Amino acid sequence: MASRARAAAPRWAVVGVVVAVLAALPAIVGALPVTDEPVPAAELRAAVLASAGVQYSGYAESAGGLALPVTDQLDSVADLFSDRTEMRVWWRGPDDHRVDVVTPAGETGIHRDARGTWTWEYERATATRAAATPLALPAPPDLLPATLGRRLLAEAAEGELTRIGARRIAGRDALGLRASPAEPASAVRQVDVWVDRASGLPVQVVVLGETSEVPALDTRFLDLELAVPDAATTAFAPPADARLRTAEEAEIVLEAGRRLAPVRFPPTVAGLPRRTLEGAPPGIGLYGRGVTLLAVAPVPWRLADGLRRTLAQSPDAVTDGTSTRIAAGPVGLMLVDPRDAEPYLLVGTVTLDALVEAAGQLPLPGRRR
Amino acid sequence: MIAVELRKLFRRPRTWAIVAVLNAPPVLVAVLLVLTDLAPRPGEGPPFLSAVLTNGALYPLAALAIVLPLFLPIAVAVVAGDSVAGEAQAGTLRYLLARPAGRTRLLVAKLVAVLAFVLVTVVVVAAVGYLVGTTLFEARPAAGTSVSGTSLTAEQLAVRTVLAVGYVGVSMLGVAAFALFFSTLTDSPLGATMGALAVLVTSSLLFTLDAASPIAPYLPTRYWLAFVDLFRDPILWRDITRGLALQAVYVGVLLAAAWANFTTKDVTS
Repeated sequence: MASRARAAAPRWAVVGVVVAVLAALPAIVGALPVTDEPVPAAELRAAVLASAGVQYSGYAESAGGLALPVTDQLDSVADLFSDRTEMRVWWRGPDDHRVDVVTPAGETGIHRDARGTWTWEYERATATRAAATPLALPAPPDLLPATLGRRLLAEAAEGELTRIGARRIAGRDALGLRASPAEPASAVRQVDVWVDRASGLPVQVVVLGETSEVPALDTRFLDLELAVPDAATTAFAPPADARLRTAEEAEIVLEAGRRLAPVRFPPTVAGLPRRTLEGAPPGIGLYGRGVTLLAVAPVPWRLADGLRRTLAQSPDAVTDGTSTRIAAGPVGLMLVDPRDAEPYLLVGTVTLDALVEAAGQLPLPGRRR
Repeated sequence: MIAVELRKLFRRPRTWAIVAVLNAPPVLVAVLLVLTDLAPRPGEGPPFLSAVLTNGALYPLAALAIVLPLFLPIAVAVVAGDSVAGEAQAGTLRYLLARPAGRTRLLVAKLVAVLAFVLVTVVVVAAVGYLVGTTLFEARPAAGTSVSGTSLTAEQLAVRTVLAVGYVGVSMLGVAAFALFFSTLTDSPLGATMGALAVLVTSSLLFTLDAASPIAPYLPTRYWLAFVDLFRDPILWRDITRGLALQAVYVGVLLAAAWANFTTKDVTS
């Protein structure tokens, strides 16, 4: 018995050492030091903005933490910001790329060309053609770290930027850049963008709201290869047995915007200056800069009731006389339904106090019929 | 000794009964699909099942997807859990060890027999699936459409199906290794089988929890469904290679533990 125990000890020791080494490997790899470089924040931002032409392929994962109110029409948009989205990407340029949203049993592939996009849905065997428009609903390619990082840093002022060290992401050394919005109305505390040192490509973006330590959005590359993807990979020809359709969602949204009666919006609300955006309907008022944005849009009466009910279902909804407002992370939504005028919606990355202040400064968009 | 173990395993009626029972769910599903013409809604049900009504040549993949989450691991755990503990329970283990071959060789022989069972089982499920699919459904063996919407030639489809069968087989090796290890710890085959299944149920449960996401890449069931990635275009190798590596680690560690335990334990039955 004793001799067996003596024989067993070294064998179990070997097994124990192997298990310990294997268990420690991920931690060891993660702890490998990354050398920071004294690149100024403004220079790093410039490198990010110049990275639109960098060609690459990779695998990215986006985790959204926003509990946006769900409607029947735009549930896929809400899912983008509340769920985990796994994406394969081949990027030859802004007008030539492919992003596949990968699920365990299928995928949705978005193929961009010069004239628009093909969207292939495996589960529905459907290929949908959409024309390129200056204004479109959020789509998975918008969540890629490279795309989102450039967008969020595009309007950041130099004084809002700081450096935050370096880390290794997708096997590449990345330098950190933090943008902290200066506007008091902002509901975004900070946006951390980790930038590939070699190419200027953002490889991780983390958006943090003012009131939570849980990221409102965390998107990062898990694999990244800086090489020119094959043109045949980004191109798409619908399979012979696929159902073909033409996208209408974007056109419906734009048409709804065009039907809105023009409103004389004030030049500033809640301390945010009015701004314009290519393709935005004139009936929608846009305010703010960088990551602090506010949109104001009249809402048809027939939609307002459903919207109010959806907002009121949120446990954090605040109902105050003629308005209902909620905060979904750093995104605030407020529906105002005056008794003698058309309802309107305020939505943006601003605080609830800023929404109330803005609502008080807006003209009533039309008398009730 | 390996040949002896293989003969013993495949001459047992119980082995073939398990294989037959394993094929029952896919056959039943196929018959129901034919009778009702109701495939799962897009995005629901096992992978590839919604596509088999239009191409029965895909049914081997649907059959594997049907048995992969539950039936196949149970079958593998039953056979692997019985391999050493079954001999101990029957009182034949000490007679086996009386042969001059040694414990390590016996363990290797048991392991090879379990591996052969896994391989045969997966291949039989795929083959029966192909027969059922091409018999009951309209088959289009000339070509197919990948998950990504591109065309696959018959040759590409065949190669990828063979790779998928191989991948599913490798995925089951981790189950076999758990059950074999537990089989060296106890004299109860049922206990060894239940131990392996408890690990798999726990792994599947943890995989659904966001709180367990830091350990998700190391769960034994994490990459089981990655065989679907073989049918994307280009093939997504990321999870497949990770799945193969993870199974290799589990098999290596558990076999080393089984060896450390079995070669030094007191065998009294």
